[in-house]
Amino acid sequence: MSKPALYISAASTISHQPTFRNAGFSETLGPVEASSALISPDYKAYIDAGLLRRMSKILRMSVACAKDCVEQAGSGQPDAIVVGTGLGCLQDTEKFLNTSLTVEGLLPPTSFIQSTHNTMAGQISLSLGNHGYNMTHTQNTLSFEHALLDAAMLLREGDRNVLVGAADEHIDILNDIAVQLAFEATAPLTSAASFFILSDEHTGNAAAALADLFTSGATDNAQEEIDAFLDRNGLQPGDIDLALYAGKPVSGVARNIDYLPLAGVYPTASAFAMHYAVDVLSENSKVRNVLICNTLRKSNLGLILLQAVEA
Amino acid sequence: MGVCITGIGIVSAIGMSVEENLNALREGKTGIGPLHYLRGTKAQLAGEVKASNDDLRASLGVGTGYVSRTSLLGLQAAREAWGDNKRSGVIRTGIISATSVGGMDRSEVFYKDYLAQNSPDYQLLTTHDSGSTTERIARELGITGYIDTLSTACSSGVNAIMLGARLILQGTLDRVLVGGSDALSGFTIDGFRSLMIYDDQWCRPFDDSRAGLNLGEGAGFLLLEGEKSLELTGNKPICNVSGWANAADAYHQTASSPDGKGATLAIQNAISRAGIGLDQISYVNAHGTGTKNNDHSESVALQNVFGDRVPPFSSTKAFTGHTLAAAGAIEAVFSVLAIQHNLIFPNLNYRTPIAETGLVPATRLETGAEVNAVLSNSFGFGGNNSSLVLTKYE
Repeated sequence: MSKPALYISAASTISHQPTFRNAGFSETLGPVEASSALISPDYKAYIDAGLLRRMSKILRMSVACAKDCVEQAGSGQPDAIVVGTGLGCLQDTEKFLNTSLTVEGLLPPTSFIQSTHNTMAGQISLSLGNHGYNMTHTQNTLSFEHALLDAAMLLREGDRNVLVGAADEHIDILNDIAVQLAFEATAPLTSAASFFILSDEHTGNAAAALADLFTSGATDNAQEEIDAFLDRNGLQPGDIDLALYAGKPVSGVARNIDYLPLAGVYPTASAFAMHYAVDVLSENSKVRNVLICNTLRKSNLGLILLQAVEA
Repeated sequence: MGVCITGIGIVSAIGMSVEENLNALREGKTGIGPLHYLRGTKAQLAGEVKASNDDLRASLGVGTGYVSRTSLLGLQAAREAWGDNKRSGVIRTGIISATSVGGMDRSEVFYKDYLAQNSPDYQLLTTHDSGSTTERIARELGITGYIDTLSTACSSGVNAIMLGARLILQGTLDRVLVGGSDALSGFTIDGFRSLMIYDDQWCRPFDDSRAGLNLGEGAGFLLLEGEKSLELTGNKPICNVSGWANAADAYHQTASSPDGKGATLAIQNAISRAGIGLDQISYVNAHGTGTKNNDHSESVALQNVFGDRVPPFSSTKAFTGHTLAAAGAIEAVFSVLAIQHNLIFPNLNYRTPIAETGLVPATRLETGAEVNAVLSNSFGFGGNNSSLVLTKYE
């Protein structure tokens, strides 16, 4: 079943790489270093100083990217805000857990308030003064794909512009946990946020079209599902100019790039890959079809098909 | 035909099944009391499910000890809602669960040992992330494919039902198990205490003397089916999911606006989506947590929408406690029961109207009136406001 394409009219990422307000970054990016840190913009340009002081890393990244997107798209107030996060607000969660186990008497509530998964979406709605649909998906390595699917549904239900993105933050204990649970990360564990404006029509500044997307949990035959997905979109693997993958490369495509060494490892790294793909599509006119194939967790398959915007 | 509810399941402080919950609601019997299973918290009273993790694992046949209470409660309710339904290669089936704390009940056990350097069991953390709660429930039921988790604090449960209905209407799924689950944890008890909205006494929703909430735990699940699925399963619809809406208050990270803006939008849009008149709402199952702020803001929103003709309404949180992400799903099941049995549930502990609004909730079990349409509200942190309209299946 072919549905009309949707358009990505803005993209913004804060990560361990020089991605923020840096069009063309995909051409120069090397692997993220183990010693790297988050490259933060001047947050004061996006967030009120009083609020900023209380905000954890994930909130700062999310609100700044969201505001940057709204500014880039120039389409005014989005109709909805949809966020995906794998692990949520870890910094505040750990902080409150620590306080509640070690402090007697009255506890300061800020870190509890900011520990819920929907704090990003809530803070974005507050900072934009947005009263629209406000949703947070948290489905492990498919959290971003589920948020994107929701955003695409909203546009098919009549919304015009939806702010959709994903964020996850690294805290020190994760390194320890990864070692203890024998989680073999192929790249350093990182923090990042990526947000996009998804629109129902091409208003001139869209860098890419979102042709289709698909998620499958507890899957045991990813290859069959990839083939069926491409087939539904009238494509053969050979039509894919670039596959950005986590886990296993996609067989039969023109070119494969493992996006984890570029983004670092975090549950919503496929959102980084989507911005990377948007950047490639707007810089390189030879690339027409990009497939993001996320099997960061083997039993969870996420597929996002992006296409060049017809001039 | 729209989106039909064909199965319901529930576990809460007032019972381990739909039948037990219905009996307690009819008898006006609360489940709130001193904590028995969760030890070492500062809560005087809470709505605890009357079963240990071992009891739940044994009755559900879950072997591993590395499973969160949130998953166990969810599975208990999901199994009941799923009933005798079979997996199918033709009916596209999904599951959407909502949770606020995920596996926090296990993580805090780990973290205590971690801080004390008392050989912490890192395996406990494999159940921490909220998505894994749903993956566990899906695995036990054999559901694959569309598996999603929502986490929008206290409005999560309603949002799961809303998303399920939209997926069916858009033709992405034919049937979907939707609901929410949350377990009590020291983390959330301390959290609400830090906000000074945890009442050490039994909560008193919509009463002028209300001084906060009592937390609860549990899960609610509903099986939603579209036309194609119904043709194949032959299941009998109980109710329709007719209206839904989600709006942001955009006022404060935790507090609700005094003018009830987000709540008003959610209620209005849900009723308008249902395509029925305001006077057709037979009963409102309110969010009614018992906090000063929520009950005032929700009362204002009800008056904004209904003027001086606010339908019979009550909060059932003095029965169950506030079950966070499960609340919207548990209360949707209560709303189904209200329609099925023509009941309006009593708002326990109410004596005096809130001075500013003067609204009087239903205080006795009402069995006389026909209940055709129920509005259920869930409002949460982050200004997340969601409302649902369920109607009798015609």
